[in-house]
Amino acid sequence: MQAIVQRERENLFTRLHPLTGLLYVASLAVLALLFSHPLYQLALFLAVGVVLLAAGGWQVWRPYLYFSLTMLIIIVGFNAVLGGWGETVLFVGPAFPILGRPRVTLEALLYGVGMGLRLLVLTSAFCYYNHLVNQEGVMRLLSPLGGRFVLVITMATRFLPLLVQEFNRIMAVQRCRGVKVTGASLREKVGSMVPVLNILLLAALERSLQVAESMQARGYGSGPRRVYTRELWRPRDYLILAALAAAFLLGLAAVAAGWARYTYYPRLAGLQPGSLLPALILTLALVQPAVLNWGWLHWTWLKSRI
Amino acid sequence: MLQSFFIFLALGVLLALGLVSSTANYAVNWAWFATLILLLALVAFWRRFDRSRVETRELALISVLAALAAAFRLPFAALVNVQPTTFLVLISGYVFGLEPGFAVGAAAALVSNFFLGQGPWTPWQMLAWGLGGAAAGLWGRYQAGFPPAAFAAAAGLWGFLYGWIMNLWHWAGFIYPLTWKTFLATYMLSLPFDAMHAVGNVVFALVFGPSFYRILARFRDKSIIYYRDGEKRDSSSGRYP
Repeated sequence: MQAIVQRERENLFTRLHPLTGLLYVASLAVLALLFSHPLYQLALFLAVGVVLLAAGGWQVWRPYLYFSLTMLIIIVGFNAVLGGWGETVLFVGPAFPILGRPRVTLEALLYGVGMGLRLLVLTSAFCYYNHLVNQEGVMRLLSPLGGRFVLVITMATRFLPLLVQEFNRIMAVQRCRGVKVTGASLREKVGSMVPVLNILLLAALERSLQVAESMQARGYGSGPRRVYTRELWRPRDYLILAALAAAFLLGLAAVAAGWARYTYYPRLAGLQPGSLLPALILTLALVQPAVLNWGWLHWTWLKSRI
Repeated sequence: MLQSFFIFLALGVLLALGLVSSTANYAVNWAWFATLILLLALVAFWRRFDRSRVETRELALISVLAALAAAFRLPFAALVNVQPTTFLVLISGYVFGLEPGFAVGAAAALVSNFFLGQGPWTPWQMLAWGLGGAAAGLWGRYQAGFPPAAFAAAAGLWGFLYGWIMNLWHWAGFIYPLTWKTFLATYMLSLPFDAMHAVGNVVFALVFGPSFYRILARFRDKSIIYYRDGEKRDSSSGRYP
């Protein structure tokens, strides 16, 4: 439940325009899905890793890393056992009932590693989104596009903590009345929750009526909805967006030119050193926000300019 | 109108591209492909919902049900796949209809992930739960009253369907080659998790189903008026004659 309050961190990333943060995450995700070359995935991973560490996010990044590493092992194992393609056979396993004799090939192993790296980049990008992008700001960005569904989301997000409060209140009342709200066995536990959740549902529905009436009393739906926004575009946003645009175009060029493509099957392709230079530039461009963050923290003059 | 035309056009182009067999220079990236189709479907729903005549009461109702479904997910996050969210989305759709059902499911996924963490899985959960609400809404249109056993069975079935929709993403995104063998293996691996989800749904439907149905149906009858021309209107709204 402590995650309900988004913590405001003292760094540059939480002081960006929400669109800048959103575009950073989106470019990372799009590039990760477009690249098939493991070294290009690694380039993205290094960039987002440096940025997350610069934001002081090791504590929040760690669970994402553990999750992705577990998934990486599963993916590598799955591909290695079931893929069976590729020509470099490392060993042939014993006979299994349904699978037959799995052929573990070097290609399938490395394919699993490549896919696992993609997952690492994706989960890290979403770690950035969850902890460094102002989610309310994102909802505000979307509200001019379409009123109703965004309004539903905003209202539901507000209702959620209220419902949790309501639930605690009902439990307290039940306990005061001497009703057993916990039981020894699972059956009793579930059974004792029935009245509590019924009351919770009733209270929630009643609340929705009140909110709707209040909205109507204030004129909701009587005309086109007006949207006000207070987000500022600062030089830091332009600087980051410029680097991001450069990185994204470079990434697209790398895909178009085939540098970011890698063929695992039937035999691992060799590495062309020339095609790896763009990956390095990509990392540097995507790390730029971390450099700006360093300046923002330690260099007053720069902080005053951006 | 124009927007839906473009969405259908894009879907058609994507499906046509998917049918072209891959050559040396052209290969479909199926992870991308699946995500794009999914996002288009969600955008189509979003635009439709925004332009439909959803009244204020229904709007508030959808948000509170979505919040409830999302809130029910949080205490169960530690228990693998046992969560009352699916049950609540299904019964909301069953009582209030197809479109509110989809909205509750999609919103519940998005909102609960504000607290549990957004990820590439969010749009897939939005679709899987949304479709559950929509399917229940479709069923509720032709079914009078509330048959507890049948509803529990349907909830159990949706536990499996939910897992199967989510599996598509894992399979297309991270497995190679995309063959029937790996497809079946992915689904076999997920079977225990889906079964737990299904069992949880059946239990929640049997325990909470009848009373929740009574409460929700009473609220529906109380707050939404159905006129003779078949169009439903908000009882408090003065906007329509």
